[in-house]
Amino acid sequence: MKPTATTATTPLRRLALHSTKTCAAPASAYGKCILATYMDVQKDTCKAEFEKFGACVREAVSKLQRPVNAGDIIP
Amino acid sequence: MLGYGVIRGGSLCRVLAPQRRCLASVSSTSPVNPNSVGPFQVFDRHVKQMQKDRAAARDGGERSRTVDYVRSEIADALAERMQDIKRKFSSVLDLGSGPGHFSKLLDTETAGKVVMLESSKKLLNRDPDDEFEVPVERIHADEENLLQIIPPNSQEAIVSCLSLHWVNDLPGILVQIKEALKPDGVFLGALFGGDTLFELRTSLQLAEVEREGGISPHISPMTDSRDMSNLLGRAGFTLLTVDVDEIKVAYPSMWELLEDLQDMGESNAVVGRRHFIHRDTLVAASAIYKEMHGHEDGSVPATFQVIYVIGWKPAPNQPKPLERGSGETNLKDVLEH
Repeated sequence: MKPTATTATTPLRRLALHSTKTCAAPASAYGKCILATYMDVQKDTCKAEFEKFGACVREAVSKLQRPVNAGDIIP
Repeated sequence: MLGYGVIRGGSLCRVLAPQRRCLASVSSTSPVNPNSVGPFQVFDRHVKQMQKDRAAARDGGERSRTVDYVRSEIADALAERMQDIKRKFSSVLDLGSGPGHFSKLLDTETAGKVVMLESSKKLLNRDPDDEFEVPVERIHADEENLLQIIPPNSQEAIVSCLSLHWVNDLPGILVQIKEALKPDGVFLGALFGGDTLFELRTSLQLAEVEREGGISPHISPMTDSRDMSNLLGRAGFTLLTVDVDEIKVAYPSMWELLEDLQDMGESNAVVGRRHFIHRDTLVAASAIYKEMHGHEDGSVPATFQVIYVIGWKPAPNQPKPLERGSGETNLKDVLEH
């Protein structure tokens, strides 16, 4: 139950930090979209919301440490 | 039981830190043959043992000790139930003991000694003998083969504190426990029930459906309190007691829960699980977890549902329930006064 460190050291910790703290607003928007449709969720129901959220996380993650191969990190 | 298998191989580890060992625990050398005869194999026991070994070894055991909170709490509740039995046992067998969460709580008034049986050697030997009040004996063996290690009719009391949820053949292990007990011996157990980690289960499922268009097992199937009383009865125990309790733990976010589950050695070990979760899916699950289940203060809850069971091996001199209809006092009179 350690709190998320402000300077995350491992890739997973960085992902955790940015998906919860840095990108809290788009994360919440995405969650609300799922919450509104969770009885009938299908693939890409909340695609638009996730694209914003995903872009925010990707940007935040890549700011801290440049990936070895930038082509790999953007799916 | 629980948790996420593994994050490996995916872009996260390879790209960001090529030389770092990530949260990976994939390889299993034990062949699980899906066509074999015998009990259906749900869990990969070999993987489970490796996960426990690694969890116990991380940071010299410190990480494992940090996450003792769930097991210690439940061991405490189980020990209380044991103290209600007014009997001194010369020896108690702790099945799937881990580092001895339950065994540490035994005192000399209850037990003469305790035998800990655990499949993970590192976890079994994590804590030194002087943390226990009663003498300890440690057996490193797989609890699924109980009767190959413990002779039948030899034990006065068998306890299992949170290990049965990884056993493939639950009806079978209960029968083995009953066989290993002496007549009038007692079995006390605590195991995780079906509502355990439902928040994580639903979040991961929703995220997988929405992102990838399908679901895969990340949280194991778990038993139900009704099933437990049926199974205990079927295994031949009498004087059954089954009750259910829930522990809710608040975490800052899904990520801390995942990390703690891994440190507990409770990562996914379902046979045929996917060996990684896509990064997008994890990120999505974390958002869904918070939005669906989160508290107002921003933390997220995780539910641990625990089923406590007590059963006795039948013996001729044991008290038995009276014949139906033989009661002489009207319960209504008692309750009204």
